[in-house]
Amino acid sequence: MSAHPTAAREYQPVFLGKTREQLDTILKRYPNKQAALLPALWLVQEARGWISDRNMAEVAEVLALTPAYVKGVVTFYTMYHQHPVGRNFVQVCTTSPCNLCGAEGVVKAFLEHTSARDLGATSPDGSWTVIEVECLGACGFATPVLINDDFIESVTPEKVPELVRKYREGRR
Amino acid sequence: MPTLAINGRTLTANADATILDAARAAGIEIPTLCWYPKLPIVGNCRICLVSVDGQPKLLPACATKVADGMVVTTESHAAVENRRGVLRLLLERYPAEHLRNGGRARPRNEFEQYVARYGVDPTPLAGRDLPLRSGDERPGDPMIRHDMSTCILCTRCVRACADIQVVGVLDVAWRGEHAEIVVGADGDPDKAGCTWCGECVRVCPTGAIFETLPRQRFTPAQIRSPERVVRAVCPYCGVGCQVDLHVAGGRIARVTSPDIELDTPNQGSTCVKGRFGYDFPQHQDRLTRPLIRKGWVKDGGRWVWNGGQGAERRGGPWQTIEAEGQRSKPGTPPRATGKSVRELPLLERLDMDIRDRVATPPAWYEPFREATWEEAMELTAQELLRIKQARGGDALACFSSAKCSNEENYLLMRMFRGGLGTNNVDHCTRLCHSTSVAAMQRALSTSAASGSMREIEAACDVIFIAGANTTETHPVFGAAIKRAHGRGATLIVADPRRTELAGRADIHLQMQPGTDVALYSAMLQHILAQSLENRAFLAERTHDFEKVRAAVQPYTPERAAKITGVPADVIRRAAETYARGPNTSTLWAMGLTQHANGTDIVTSLLNLMLACGMIGRWGAAMLPVRGQNNVQGASDVGAIPFVYTDYRSVKDPAIRAEYARAWSVPAETLSLKEGLMVTEVVKPESGVRGMYIMGENPIISDPDIAHAEHWFQELEFLAVQDLFLTETARYADVVFPGASFAEKTGTFVNTERRIQLSHRAADPPGQARGDLEILIELSNRLGLPTPHQSADEVMQEIAQVTPSWRGVTHSRLEGAGLQYPVPTADHPGTAFLFAERFPTADGRARFVPVEYTDPVELPDETYPFVMNTGRQLYHWHTGTMTRRATGLDAREPTAIVEIHPADAAALGVTEGDLVRLTSRRNSMVTACRISDRVARGQVFVPFHFREAAANLLTNPVLDPYAKMAELKICAVKVEPVHASAPVPAD
Repeated sequence: MSAHPTAAREYQPVFLGKTREQLDTILKRYPNKQAALLPALWLVQEARGWISDRNMAEVAEVLALTPAYVKGVVTFYTMYHQHPVGRNFVQVCTTSPCNLCGAEGVVKAFLEHTSARDLGATSPDGSWTVIEVECLGACGFATPVLINDDFIESVTPEKVPELVRKYREGRR
Repeated sequence: MPTLAINGRTLTANADATILDAARAAGIEIPTLCWYPKLPIVGNCRICLVSVDGQPKLLPACATKVADGMVVTTESHAAVENRRGVLRLLLERYPAEHLRNGGRARPRNEFEQYVARYGVDPTPLAGRDLPLRSGDERPGDPMIRHDMSTCILCTRCVRACADIQVVGVLDVAWRGEHAEIVVGADGDPDKAGCTWCGECVRVCPTGAIFETLPRQRFTPAQIRSPERVVRAVCPYCGVGCQVDLHVAGGRIARVTSPDIELDTPNQGSTCVKGRFGYDFPQHQDRLTRPLIRKGWVKDGGRWVWNGGQGAERRGGPWQTIEAEGQRSKPGTPPRATGKSVRELPLLERLDMDIRDRVATPPAWYEPFREATWEEAMELTAQELLRIKQARGGDALACFSSAKCSNEENYLLMRMFRGGLGTNNVDHCTRLCHSTSVAAMQRALSTSAASGSMREIEAACDVIFIAGANTTETHPVFGAAIKRAHGRGATLIVADPRRTELAGRADIHLQMQPGTDVALYSAMLQHILAQSLENRAFLAERTHDFEKVRAAVQPYTPERAAKITGVPADVIRRAAETYARGPNTSTLWAMGLTQHANGTDIVTSLLNLMLACGMIGRWGAAMLPVRGQNNVQGASDVGAIPFVYTDYRSVKDPAIRAEYARAWSVPAETLSLKEGLMVTEVVKPESGVRGMYIMGENPIISDPDIAHAEHWFQELEFLAVQDLFLTETARYADVVFPGASFAEKTGTFVNTERRIQLSHRAADPPGQARGDLEILIELSNRLGLPTPHQSADEVMQEIAQVTPSWRGVTHSRLEGAGLQYPVPTADHPGTAFLFAERFPTADGRARFVPVEYTDPVELPDETYPFVMNTGRQLYHWHTGTMTRRATGLDAREPTAIVEIHPADAAALGVTEGDLVRLTSRRNSMVTACRISDRVARGQVFVPFHFREAAANLLTNPVLDPYAKMAELKICAVKVEPVHASAPVPAD
């Protein structure tokens, strides 16, 4: 359709080269293109760190869906980021059992040591975002924390500075 | 069939009917919010819940199938309490203060009606926990805006957009209490593919989605309770949508579409032009008094010209179209829609500038003086009769109009044939489907579509669309095609451009422009090679097939691939799909016809169609998609040079005698010589010296305008009947102010032969008159007895002289109208033709072998691009109407050329830059729109724009049979217009 092309020209598509190949592999697993929407969005988030409106439009085009439909899906799930997040994304479980075991202190420690200041906000240097999440399924090992794709159990406020140092130094 | 009881009434219903269907059929109302006729059922609003005996819970009437012995109570205590609860919850987030204080007496919309009916009291705003809803609001949109505070999330708009229009601009995003309606991914309807059809406006039950135009001009009371609502036929394309005109203060306040369940060609939809392009009749440029060129004076009882001679005779303070084409102009402004409000003022200012340029410049009126009807009529009658006496009737010609009603076209052709004795009567069909008519006459002795639009949607298995950009030029039909594709029909599109349908098609044959004959011949060759032709049909219903079999033999798919650029495998696949059907419908439009070999191109398509027997069954339709809302009717009632009504030859003395009797004139008055066609008239050798033009604008629509414009200036006399002082009318001696579609009663024929009645809604402005009145008076003054008083009476005469319309009367046309042939007063009309025989002498179709020839102009080193011309979604032909329709003009305010990104990069131009297009005839300056809809090496230029008229460049070479010009192909060069070598500015 007659999209205004000025914006289109500046945009760098996600699904080029290797990402496109990954998508093609994913598409083979599904009966139709629509079914591959969630993994396609993961690819975008992996490549860009978050999913912009323009990315949604690209996914819609690639999968023959409408941009509004893709936006509906992206905004329904909490794990797709609609805003840029820090390079290290920390998710702390604060559901009841963890809370009883001191999850709040863990959150506070992360905010302090990463200079992210507020929940959901990104630290000024762009490297940290800390959020609270519902049950991560490890109540016996409170407090579990997800940093990027790494699952870390039994975190206490005391262990936080060491974790932060490790990830700051580039272990992702 | 199950029998059930609803509210104590025993009913029978189809097994697949829902409780709601059964209740509606019996006239029992059940409240609905998310349910809407023909939309997918989602059952999310829960207001239609009803009690069913034996069921522990209430059941949704919209989503529960009927069963034998079911006992339903729609207003049981439980059902009513549930409804109150549903409404109370919805009201929690609805601005309902007005419903608390007596406002319940006047509910403003569907939702509030239920609130009033069930007596629900909204919580005061102060006592609420949740804020009002929000959502994307389409800021700056010229036609549709949202106020999502009244949204109840019924999702009708989402489904209407996705399932009726098959676009999908809207959806629900976010979750839980934050859920809201979003427009595309970023709020910009443009990027989401919105076509501004307004389907969302129609279905919204709360007015959260609304039209902006009425609110800018009319009071809420006028909009809510119009003086009257009048059924009319949309004035744009050949789909012939029925629309309801809401009249307030003698003007059209808004347009709505008839109920979705009524039998109308549009089934309740309209496109952007139909719904929002209705305000041109109120434009300040409307002519309200007759105009006479200064220089005509009355001397001794006769009008004489004592003004300037030579160039001054028809001169004026304006630029020719050619000169305007050379001038600099604003590039395309960024579209305002969906931008932040902060950016708007600048964008709106840009639009204003451009619009001032488009409306008739005040200086154009300078050569004219306002006159009385008496003066204008007297002068016109005197001059037409003078030229007839001095030079013979054939020195006169008229252009009738596919925008005018059947009755008006009939009267104009009657006036010229009966009153002036010439058959020089033609209209824009010449530049439209004349080649189709020539080819169809040659093969089948017919001039119209064989089938109906609704059979495409309902019954056909394969849709073959050739050279038709249906979603932009016939959007309502385009949506029906998309729905057909969605239900599983295979879509094959042959088009050099990647149009929307081509993008969706299962097979897109993207050929080089003008290579159609090779393509269709190769498809037929492959079908024969595979023995997929319909042998029984060929044997029983056709003859001369062997000639075509021999003619297509050399066109192997490989050879065609070289000519057309379409891979041979794709041609084979398309051919097999087409032939296997089982029911294939064949659609085509200007992409085939507007060529110097248009008749041959259409013939080769007809050969393909006949060889496969894809005609004469429900689902196998032959549909040349008609452009104008009455191009079919204008031709049917004889506004073409060789025939009277019903395509009866002017050369036959017996037929002539019949018309002479009907018109009370001596038979010798009527000429037996076939008249000149549009493209022949506008030539120095035509011998035409005086012209009458009703509602056409040939100075923009004719090929090679520079020559045409010069020709019109040389005329002895020119009278124009139009709404505005058009580019053509400015050269006239006399201009008659006519009436717009909303200001007249008359009939129109759509592309499926459906004759429909359009009613008068408003009065013409000032002294402007109905076109029928003008023609009746002028006919009488020319000495042709014309006693008719109304369109109804004219239709009686048409029916009398037109065998296939004999059963047509205005009263029978109320409602859905009639698809002709309607031979008798009780005939129900004909949905599809040729089930048994073709209307040829022996009842069989004829095959005519055709050969491929190259287009007349091929690209070369000097002119390396192929230029294609056509229409845009938001504009209509020469722009006379749409460029004066506020909403439409705001969407496409400037002239553009579409060019492929790679070609643009090679030329060093970007979006909005000016380029000069030059053909062998002329050149013009226009702005670039970068688009991969056009192939490399091709450019597309819409022909709506006076300031960059595509037809300055087009090739006037004519089709030998139909005299169609080669409007679709000419070779051009494209040069950037650099700031260092500026073109003259305004």
